[in-house]
Amino acid sequence: MKPTHVFQAEQLVAGYDHKTIIQGIDLVIPSNKISIIIGANGCGKSTLLKTLARLIKPISGKITLDGKAIGKIPPKQLARIVGLLPQSPIVPEGISVADLVGRGRFPHQTLLRGWTKKDSEAVAEAMAIMNITEFANHNIDELSGGQRQRVWIAMALAQQTDILFLDEPTTFLDITYQVEILDLLTDLNRKHGTTIVMVLHDINLSARYADHIFALDKGKLVTEGEPSKVITSDMVKHIFGLDCTVIEDPLSGSPLVVPKGRYHIGS
Amino acid sequence: MNSSATSHHHQGSHIPKHFTLVLTIGIVLLGVCAVASLLFGARVIRWNELIDGLFNPNIDSFGANVVRKRVSRTIFSLFCGAALGVSGALMQSVTRNPLADPSILGVNTGASLFVVCGIALFNITTANEYIWLALLGAGITAVFVFGIGSMGRGGATPIKLVLAGAATSAALSSLVSAILIPRAYAMDQMRFWQVGSVGSASWSSITTFIPFLLIGILIAVITAPALNALALGDEAASGLGVRTGVLRLVAALGGVILCGAATALAGPIGFIGLLSTHVIRLMLGPDLRYVIPMSALAGAIILTLSDVCGRLIGNTGEVEVGIVTAFIGAPILILLAIKSKVRSL
Repeated sequence: MKPTHVFQAEQLVAGYDHKTIIQGIDLVIPSNKISIIIGANGCGKSTLLKTLARLIKPISGKITLDGKAIGKIPPKQLARIVGLLPQSPIVPEGISVADLVGRGRFPHQTLLRGWTKKDSEAVAEAMAIMNITEFANHNIDELSGGQRQRVWIAMALAQQTDILFLDEPTTFLDITYQVEILDLLTDLNRKHGTTIVMVLHDINLSARYADHIFALDKGKLVTEGEPSKVITSDMVKHIFGLDCTVIEDPLSGSPLVVPKGRYHIGS
Repeated sequence: MNSSATSHHHQGSHIPKHFTLVLTIGIVLLGVCAVASLLFGARVIRWNELIDGLFNPNIDSFGANVVRKRVSRTIFSLFCGAALGVSGALMQSVTRNPLADPSILGVNTGASLFVVCGIALFNITTANEYIWLALLGAGITAVFVFGIGSMGRGGATPIKLVLAGAATSAALSSLVSAILIPRAYAMDQMRFWQVGSVGSASWSSITTFIPFLLIGILIAVITAPALNALALGDEAASGLGVRTGVLRLVAALGGVILCGAATALAGPIGFIGLLSTHVIRLMLGPDLRYVIPMSALAGAIILTLSDVCGRLIGNTGEVEVGIVTAFIGAPILILLAIKSKVRSL
């Protein structure tokens, strides 16, 4: 099982250029759990994830891993503990599945020590977890959207980090593949104890798959906790501005948001 | 993690499928080109003259002396081609742009302008001095073109960079002409250099060139794994622990050193970087740990072969290698531009 880490942000303020988006957030990422950041478009959930994953330098406040500021940890060393799958990475033309997954091994390699058996094993294991071993020698261009996303997650898994950030890993995928990806990520968390933090658009899938929800509105953390405690009709009204009823998901028992809208209500 | 779950044979670090084959063919071709470069020219050399020229320093026949003169030219064109090939691979990686090449980005022309200014206006005459001018010119032009190409929406797209490079190159080369034409003495000295030629290469050009070649190639080899990560996008690269800003700066510096030094000694030879990297990528795929060294090999072959062709076409005189590579490179650039436009739509 992956070791326990304390990853936290204090008084975090962040944004692009001079535009402040994250307006002072304090949070602790629950170790070895699945956390999902939710919120309306433009609330800063993606910015928060990028700042935590050190793609954006905070304007003020601090982010620490086991008490040490992440900016002070050498990037390669940090990349062996914290991984990131961005929303739209680039596929180099003509690359094979195994080679792309292999690029996740970069932080484990040094100038003098090139590719080792350990690297090969990590790649093979990542491909096995994501069920893409059969495509190992295929060109990425030959794969479907869902298969491609599995390849990217395998790339992040080959990095063998204890903490994994994912920026909307299910966007652009059909519902079937969204569920498949979330199931695979849950496998990863349950079997290996990997701490997962992701941004998801779909509130119902978030309610189903999260151990912990961070709900954002206008760059502030409005509420956080277990989905069953956090996801209420008041919360949805507050952060999405949507009138809804929250019922119990008949399969999982997690909260299920049923939007009201103006039509088709009652009979 | 339990790492014994499924351990297959070496996965993820595949030596590209046809690597050994491509390497073997490359080395054979390199040898053939080198020999051809010794044999062909205004005077075609016979085999026994070649042997005399290379291995019997006592024999002082005309043919043997021609061979000796061609040795430095050949070595220089191999080195110069290698430098331009690697420079192209670096510039393509840094800009993440399949069309990048020192000549297409105008970096060559920037280097030439500075060299011409040095020679015409400041009476600088030795390669040791103007190689630094060339590096400065190449560096400034690289920053300038990238700056213009990144303006507006969408950042530095391939097509915008190429346009910025072409426009800058045209403007700078007209400046080169404006400086040279009224100065007969400089014009004489620079006439062949200005179009790109390895014909006047001497042993001293080679010794001046070697340190820059080594530094540039060293930078390329060291940065190759990180450039592989950068190829996945800036965010993914940062996630893998790459300092993208530092990496770009160092790799671009390597590219500028290689093409600046080559331009100082041989003039602005175009398209070698573009041609060699695309041929190699087509055969070996995108792994830069292989693409970079093999582009050096391909660049050396293409440039030397073009130089031999130029000598053969020229019949009694010769056609400068810069003209030959432009002739081969231009149509390839157009093809690639069409393809990359389709991809970006």
